[in-house]
Amino acid sequence: MKAGALFREGVEVHIAEGHGFAAYFYLLVLLTPVVFLALFLPALDAQVWIAPAAFFSISSVSAMILTTYFALRLANQEFAPWRFVSLRRRLTEQKLTPAEIAKDHIALLCLEVGILVLLAAPLLVWAAAIARVPGRELTAVLLLLFFYALVYGVWGLTALAAWERKLEIRQVFVRAFFISVMIVTAVIYIPLNPVGFMLGYLGDKDMAPLLLWGRRWSAGTAHFTLHLLLLGAGAWIYYRALRRELSS
Amino acid sequence: MSAGIVKAALIAQLLLLLPSPTRAAEITLTVTIGYHGVFQLGRPFPIRIEVANTGPPVEGTVEATVWKGGGAKGIGSFPMRHRRTLLIGAAARKSATFTIDPGSVSRPLVVSFHGPGATATQEIDLRRHFVPSPVILLLTESDFSILPGLSTPANPLIAISPEELPSDPRAFAGVAAVVLYEPSLREISGAQNAALETWLTNGGKIVALGSLRYSLYQEAALSRFLPVRVSGLKRFAALPEMAKRYGVPASGAVEIQDATVTDGRALVSEHGSPIVVEAERGKGKIVYLAVDIGRPPFSRWDGVARLLKDLTAAPAENSSAPAAAWDDAVFSQLLLNRAVSSMYLPVGAFAAWIVGYLIALGVLTWCWDRRRLVPRSLGIGFLTVVFFSSIVGYIYFSRGDGIPDGVLVTSTLLDSLSGGEVEASSNAALFSTIRRDYDVFVEKGWTDFDPLPRRSAVAEENSVTVEEEGGRPRLRMALKAWDYRLFRLRSVTRLPVRVELAAEADRRLIKVSNDSAQDLTDCWAVVTGQIVSLGDIPAGRTRVRELPASASDPAAAGGRAYRAGLRDVHFKDPVRELLLRYSYFPQEQTNAWTGAGLFFGWLQTAPRGVTVAGGKVRERDYAFFRAAFPAGEEEE
Repeated sequence: MKAGALFREGVEVHIAEGHGFAAYFYLLVLLTPVVFLALFLPALDAQVWIAPAAFFSISSVSAMILTTYFALRLANQEFAPWRFVSLRRRLTEQKLTPAEIAKDHIALLCLEVGILVLLAAPLLVWAAAIARVPGRELTAVLLLLFFYALVYGVWGLTALAAWERKLEIRQVFVRAFFISVMIVTAVIYIPLNPVGFMLGYLGDKDMAPLLLWGRRWSAGTAHFTLHLLLLGAGAWIYYRALRRELSS
Repeated sequence: MSAGIVKAALIAQLLLLLPSPTRAAEITLTVTIGYHGVFQLGRPFPIRIEVANTGPPVEGTVEATVWKGGGAKGIGSFPMRHRRTLLIGAAARKSATFTIDPGSVSRPLVVSFHGPGATATQEIDLRRHFVPSPVILLLTESDFSILPGLSTPANPLIAISPEELPSDPRAFAGVAAVVLYEPSLREISGAQNAALETWLTNGGKIVALGSLRYSLYQEAALSRFLPVRVSGLKRFAALPEMAKRYGVPASGAVEIQDATVTDGRALVSEHGSPIVVEAERGKGKIVYLAVDIGRPPFSRWDGVARLLKDLTAAPAENSSAPAAAWDDAVFSQLLLNRAVSSMYLPVGAFAAWIVGYLIALGVLTWCWDRRRLVPRSLGIGFLTVVFFSSIVGYIYFSRGDGIPDGVLVTSTLLDSLSGGEVEASSNAALFSTIRRDYDVFVEKGWTDFDPLPRRSAVAEENSVTVEEEGGRPRLRMALKAWDYRLFRLRSVTRLPVRVELAAEADRRLIKVSNDSAQDLTDCWAVVTGQIVSLGDIPAGRTRVRELPASASDPAAAGGRAYRAGLRDVHFKDPVRELLLRYSYFPQEQTNAWTGAGLFFGWLQTAPRGVTVAGGKVRERDYAFFRAAFPAGEEEE
């Protein structure tokens, strides 16, 4: 299968020209001290010893926030935006269909998310070994990192398709969206929140089920349903925005 | 014959050919609480569970469960289980003895036996068995079982045979004194002997009543406890000293044991022969009486009751130094210390791996920037760095020696007693980096093992199971990953270190003689707020240091002065400083040292009270010797 033009362009700009290295650099620069300090500085209150026990949790949550955030920014083409051919040109001059563009964008997003997760992986693997976390939990965490970065990254593509020529709006939107989702999910029901869910899962705690429409939804079901809905909604709006761009 | 009858007969014959169902073992439990059904409230006591099996042989676990903690102690109740595996033959009985220490008698003791196809459970109401005061045990093989004036309903005297003697020193905790009268200790086991000796040196009292059957007192098993050497009998026309103290004995000549004092001192002597001899054994005491009060004329003597009361009176409480603080707060301070955390956290190695990983990525990026790598090579290089560092790092951190399964830190405080003995209070913390069961063994000579419950934990997390196999109790405690348990135990051992303060006209001298076999390191003395470093004192050496003349301010001898002095004490090892300030001399004990001078130092090798079996458990021991002495000039 031959890579599409947009995918090749993304690889060229982010990797071949190195504009995406900034995101990888920031990820490592922020994640490394957090992980190291989580191990180095034990936190303890009068009763509960939480330092090494929370070492892997802290590392995982930090990695999740950072990979998701930078996936959003990479999908939103915030790094070297001038180097990308505009979507309008792709649709009108190069006669690419919205489906072809979406396929390339999603493939590029998956690649970017994969690189971000791989960059963070050694730190998490060592943290898991030190904190004696079972391999099954480590694998779950790595898959969750990929999943969250993909779910939220799609909204970066949505912003790109909706406001391609308004970079500031896109930048504000992706940040506002990410922060809002984090806050709102935490306020409504903690296990909906990625941080809350991950801490609950790694802490081996029983998460209270969600009571909605007279039914009890397990924390896992509620969490993944919401995120799959977010992913679906993001992809749908993104595709609609591409089609609107084509029709206009 | 009808066909139906033939079929029925055939079926009956087939049924007879089938193997008969296995008969299940039938188990009954008989439980003896304390000493002949009596124990002192609030102290550990022995229980004996006899398992009788009227069925086929069965192997199972006999278990006794008591509950500790509870609302009044501010922590939730938690179970303490005592277990032992028994193989009971067909139509046979076997017994298991445990020492239990229930938190209260309001919850019943639950005793059970579980084996394949055989289960028996019994609940015992302990409220019918306790007395408020410690009991007195009379160890004898004779019929004599009455000691006039000693036995009261609240403080009963219980006659036991030597085989009933506990083999766990904790079982003696509710015993005021063990009275020996014509006992034969030849048959008691090594464990029973050790338990009796451990209890004695930890503050127990043995009263040896003489007998005309003096040969029993010459047996090695008994004579090793006695402060005298019994050589035979001696006839006296009268006992004036005894008559003066306890009234006139029955008239006529009397025979008493002829003995020579080997250690201790004679409190009452008649014509040079010791009648009452007292000797110290660690914190405990042994008293010997040469007369036979079980036979005439002394059995009819009115003064016996008073004499026995004097002999069995509780030993004067040694002015014990305050115990070391050992709780969650001290433990948190320990964990915050790098010297302790580095025992289980590979901080340095982790930093090195991070730096190595970043350097590898940096090199890749540099090569890419210098156009030395094609995109394909960059991708392969990146994946190689990520996978190699992940896999090798994982193997290094999870299988290397960096992280143990658990860490056992023991902090032993040795408080000087008289006669070169020390009371050793060992505080231990066991914490785990993984979820696993730990088997903790209490070493010989140590007693009063006390696991400290955690206020934040639920009942099952605090539970401890004592498995008694092969005569050595094994405490099994389940710990979660990154979880910990604290416990204490104590012992009395020998460590002859003498500390003297000599006052001269214009100066004071502190003299420390280390007559023990161990080196003392980092030694200090605090006298009236003045601190002086004594450095290391090797075994067999004496060190003398001059102190400035005492301060005229009387407040200088107060607790605050010693506190101020301690602030100037510094050790190279930060854990030692931490233990000194938070555990051995915590803030709340400031006033306990008023008027006292203090000498303290560290022992090179710590006496071990507990060991943890199996697995990778890293250990670190601290042993701190301290001796208090009068600091005021008038007291010298």
